[in-house]
Amino acid sequence: MSPGPVTRWEAGLKVTGQAVFAAETPAPGLLYAVLVEAPVGCGTVLAVDAAQARRTPGFADLISYPEAQGLKPSSVTALIREPTIHFAGQPVALVVAENLAAAQAAARAVRVEAEARPAIAALGQALDQAYTPATAGRNPAESRRGDAARALAEAHLVVRRRYETAVNNHHPMEPHAVVCCWEGDRVTVHTSTQAVFGARAAIAHAFGLPAEDARVVSRFLGGGFGCKGQLWWPWMMQAMLAARRTGRPVRLELTRAQLFTLAGRRSETVQELAVGLDADGRLTAIDHQVLAQTSTHGEYADTTAGVSRWLYACPNVTTRHRLVRTNEPQPIPMRAPGTAPGTFALESALDEAAAALGIDPVDLRVRNHGDHDQEAGRPWSSKRLLECYRVGAERFGWAHRPAAGAAGDGRWRLGSGMASTFYAQHLQPSRARVRLAADASLVVQCGTQDMGNGAYTALGQMAAEALGVPMSRVTVELGDTLLPQGPISAGSQVTVSISPAVAMATAELRAILAQLAVADQASPLAGQRPEDLDFADGLVRSRTGNVAEPLADLLARQAPAGLEAEGSADLPQVQTHSFMSHGAVFVEVGVDPDLGEVRVRRVCAAFAAGRIVNPLLATSQYVGGLIGGIGMALHERTVTDLASGRILGDNFADYLIPVHADMPTFDIALVHEDDTHLPGGIKGVGMLGTAGVQAAIANAIFDAVGRRVRRLPIRIEDILGHPDPRDGFETLT
Amino acid sequence: MSDDGRIALSLTLNGRALDVETPACATLLDLLRDRLGLTGVKKGCDMGACGACTVLMGGRRIKSCLALAAACDGGAITTIEGIGTLDDLHPLQAAFIRHDALQCGYCTPGQILSGIALLAETPKDLAAIREGMSGNLCRCGAYPNIVAAIAEVAGL
Amino acid sequence: MSGPAFSYARPADVAGALAQGARPGAAFLAGGTDLIQLWKAGLAAHAELVDISRLPLAGIDLADGELAIGALARLSDVALHPRVMAEHPLIAQAIAATASGQVRNMATVGGNLLQRTRCAYFRTQGMACNKREPGSGCGAAAGETRQAALFGASAACVATHASDLAVALTALRAELTILGPDGERRIALPDLYRLPGQTPQIDTTLAPGELIAAVQVRRAAGLAARSTYLKVRDRASFEFAVVSVAAALRLEDGAVVEARLAAGGVAPLPWRLAGAEAALIGRAPDARAFAEAAGLAVEGAQPLADNGFKVELLRRAVIRALETVGATA
Ligand SMILES: Cc1cc2nc3c(=O)[nH]c(=O)nc-3n(C[C@H](O)[C@H](O)[C@H](O)COP(=O)(O)OP(=O)(O)OC[C@H]3O[C@@H](n4cnc5c(N)ncnc54)[C@H](O)[C@@H]3O)c2cc1C
Ligand code: SF4
Ligand code: FES
Ligand code: FES
Repeated sequence: MSPGPVTRWEAGLKVTGQAVFAAETPAPGLLYAVLVEAPVGCGTVLAVDAAQARRTPGFADLISYPEAQGLKPSSVTALIREPTIHFAGQPVALVVAENLAAAQAAARAVRVEAEARPAIAALGQALDQAYTPATAGRNPAESRRGDAARALAEAHLVVRRRYETAVNNHHPMEPHAVVCCWEGDRVTVHTSTQAVFGARAAIAHAFGLPAEDARVVSRFLGGGFGCKGQLWWPWMMQAMLAARRTGRPVRLELTRAQLFTLAGRRSETVQELAVGLDADGRLTAIDHQVLAQTSTHGEYADTTAGVSRWLYACPNVTTRHRLVRTNEPQPIPMRAPGTAPGTFALESALDEAAAALGIDPVDLRVRNHGDHDQEAGRPWSSKRLLECYRVGAERFGWAHRPAAGAAGDGRWRLGSGMASTFYAQHLQPSRARVRLAADASLVVQCGTQDMGNGAYTALGQMAAEALGVPMSRVTVELGDTLLPQGPISAGSQVTVSISPAVAMATAELRAILAQLAVADQASPLAGQRPEDLDFADGLVRSRTGNVAEPLADLLARQAPAGLEAEGSADLPQVQTHSFMSHGAVFVEVGVDPDLGEVRVRRVCAAFAAGRIVNPLLATSQYVGGLIGGIGMALHERTVTDLASGRILGDNFADYLIPVHADMPTFDIALVHEDDTHLPGGIKGVGMLGTAGVQAAIANAIFDAVGRRVRRLPIRIEDILGHPDPRDGFETLT
Repeated sequence: MSDDGRIALSLTLNGRALDVETPACATLLDLLRDRLGLTGVKKGCDMGACGACTVLMGGRRIKSCLALAAACDGGAITTIEGIGTLDDLHPLQAAFIRHDALQCGYCTPGQILSGIALLAETPKDLAAIREGMSGNLCRCGAYPNIVAAIAEVAGL
Repeated sequence: MSGPAFSYARPADVAGALAQGARPGAAFLAGGTDLIQLWKAGLAAHAELVDISRLPLAGIDLADGELAIGALARLSDVALHPRVMAEHPLIAQAIAATASGQVRNMATVGGNLLQRTRCAYFRTQGMACNKREPGSGCGAAAGETRQAALFGASAACVATHASDLAVALTALRAELTILGPDGERRIALPDLYRLPGQTPQIDTTLAPGELIAAVQVRRAAGLAARSTYLKVRDRASFEFAVVSVAAALRLEDGAVVEARLAAGGVAPLPWRLAGAEAALIGRAPDARAFAEAAGLAVEGAQPLADNGFKVELLRRAVIRALETVGATA
């Protein structure tokens, strides 16, 4: 194929400002919507008085509970149909007006009468009501293999610790938006969603429409990270109701503040972890108990303790997830759900164990390598974690790192730390369509989305490679329910899920083209065997002889109207293998022991995630994930004010995410991994980088200044003060 | 100011003279993005804290979400639409593509405009670029590639 | 959600601004970077914004041993002014550590000194806050107190002042020229601010309609070479200070003859560390002197539940800043 790395397919549109995001969809006669928030954090709405609002200039309509009764009851429509206030900041109405300022003025004039009930504003206020949900993520909430309690009692070393992680919010840079427009009973909805088909199904259900009467479009998505899904749909639907009632297109855009309440969050966790090891550093037991928050209107738990089930070989493992319902926003998956907080706990504990046993942290992990999935009793489809340790350690210079506490650079004490990361691979059914025009240009279509993860490029590249067409001749169309149904953008599943569909469609085209070529007397390939033909560099050529002809010539003669094929892939019936991607993250931090500042200086990570379709973009994904993990480790923390139940400091000046100046240098190793059990040998890369790095940073901080911090984010006050005597480290001043 | 509280402005927008009326309360971001359809100007926080709305005013970068449109009367404003086109990219836009300095692309116009203004300040090393770009958040984490793209154009 | 609509006026001269600024419901608009934020968050309601940003009060002059910065000078112009950088590096450093390039291009010196607290309870609608809504209570004192003041707070309000520049200017003993209906007055910078007491809603001693015209700093030859602004924060950039220290020393014959110290992030106003300054005079710039001064700097600190670490942090930051400026090599 073309030399040099393939750059992002849609990059030109993005760097020139021509990529149109949902809120920017042009719509003549547009009305602007604003949400009216509940006056209390828990209770019932008694009345929404819009009399004054209706008199404000430019007012067009108001949607509240009565106006939403026509929608079918469901978990999606509950918040807009039922006047129960579950959390502070919950919208109780939507106002539309001629412009945004008019809508805001009208919204300010809405009077909401509500009956307040005592709220549970924090997990800690209702510990006695903790319960075990049916599932944690896609997995059972509880697990048990062997007898962890007994093995812990008999272990040579037990590390028993509590780990805590803060609430995080996704905060894609593009706030959720919708521009919707009805034509009779048909509706077109331009919205920021990671699931155009999911959104369409929800809309069709709620509005009682045949699915084909609703079109959902999401061509460009300004990030998602898990939050552009069903939690947004109620408010999107309120805007749709307003559009239908007014007969005009309506736009609603969430504010940054609303992304703290309406778009989901990563729950805080309190993790009680006990690991038992023998004198050789082999894990004999893990007991991992997780407490997390969920809302009073929904239920979601990350598989935080999954790390203890899957990451290492260990005969005795007990895990349990429990939830506490609070009057706070609803958690949903966020970047490396479960594995991010889970690896923080386990990988921190293993670092303590390594120190206690005098075993190198990498060596300790190698000794506990799991050569099959003990939890499911299945082999891994592929697993090159050991190679990740080796490559990562070598490129980081792990073996030659200075002794703990020994390295410095001016005011900084330097420390090194490492951790493993992993992410379970799942598949989704998918379809894709590939169209070859007479000039040998290619159109690839799939109703999946690109939220920055490179779906446009991956899809285009897979089709282009299969047909030997250069990327410059490829057009990719995504994010539209008029296209063949594609996967939702979640869980790093897109590329692997669409790969077989694209492969099927392109294989069909190749077969047709080969037949046409060998049967065409005007072609230099006439008389060749179809199976000997090959597609590359814009040519159809014979693999055996030296004959070839430009694809465009063949098409011009034989298929002047172009050719088209659709492919589809269903889920495998039986799962014989467990699919998991892995990585090893090595980190160097600088810690100012006097002022408590922590800066990550260097990250070297090796990842094994099947076949990498585009190394440039995969590296970007890994780096982006690692930066998200650095934010979780050092900065990000959403706080609920106990008195009001509101989010404290719901803006980017208070909720800190890493900035340019926080950036370390990154060295990413893509470890080659063949996987014959997954379509195309592909695994997801997106989630992998966001886990592991938190523990690596905490471990590096310990290495630098002898302080074990078991709570995220790690901030100045965690570095100052007196070391915990249990840390057994007092030598630095 | 006219009777209905609208204010008449003269701007030079991407090199073209423009007369326009704006409500007193509208920000430059509202004017550009909603009224004038220059949707390359992004709204990420509307509070000055993310840099997505960065534009150049008289060659200097500002956050258009905190600038009242009325106060920009007479100003020369450049948005991403005035920087380069697909056929005629600004060197920094081309460098962004080469270095994969973007993922979702939502922060990208602001990063590029901020980067162009920073280049005029001739940053002396990578650390100066990182510090100078810290007003532009990128949640996808394209930071290192953004810095690499700017450094390349700066000849560092 | 944003506050109510306002009208906009741009008076042609200072006299016009003073007249329009004195009208009820009027507020001055300089760079707008704080005012517009507050308005958007629904925390400021003004009938009229009087745009002063183009008034001829933006000059930066060094004459007669005094630096005079017009209140409407943009932060970036001040920080990049070659003579400010050379003769008052403390000012340039404090500004360089302020906000971001974009904000510094918009924000003015006067507006920076007058920015309102970053107390998250003040800045989030719907929370109790005596500064925003007198009598509603102090959400911060009852809630998370990480940001809260160590000095000068009251039961009614524990907020801190967030300006970096004000800390540097306080250390440099800056004065302000203030214009009002009754003419001109000149005050020391700290006198611009009020302690919260029972009326935290009033931040400053400015009368309605008064305008800050300029900031003056007497030329402090000898301090320039030994001055530093130390800003401690969780993120490497683009964050308000958790604690900051402005320090400057003048040494003669191996002894401190002049010391300037002020701290940020610890009080409702830029906090001059007068006791620590005095303790350094006549001393050799050594570790003992610095430790004693730092001890005095935190004397009287009244930490709350979550900000106790700031006492130790301030002490260490003072030592670090003094080490930086006191190095004899
Ligand atoms: C994202 C972000 C990050 C920031 N980070 C920092 C930081 O790290 N450190 C820091 O110090 N600051 C920081 N700031 C605050 C910023 O420095 C101030 O917002 C800015 O300096 C205010 O100046 P302005 O000219 O924009 O003021 P405006 O917003 O125009 O005015 C502020 C107030 O002062 C009044 N006013 C302005 N000028 C005068 C005058 N001459 N006479 C009388 N009254 C006047 C106005 O009426 C208003 O009440 C940050 C701001 C933002 C948006
Ligand atoms: S500290 Fe002051 S500003 Fe903050 S909530 Fe209390 S009264 Fe309001
Ligand atoms: S939108 Fe202006 S800085 Fe975020
Ligand atoms: S590329 Fe997505 S926020 Fe920067």
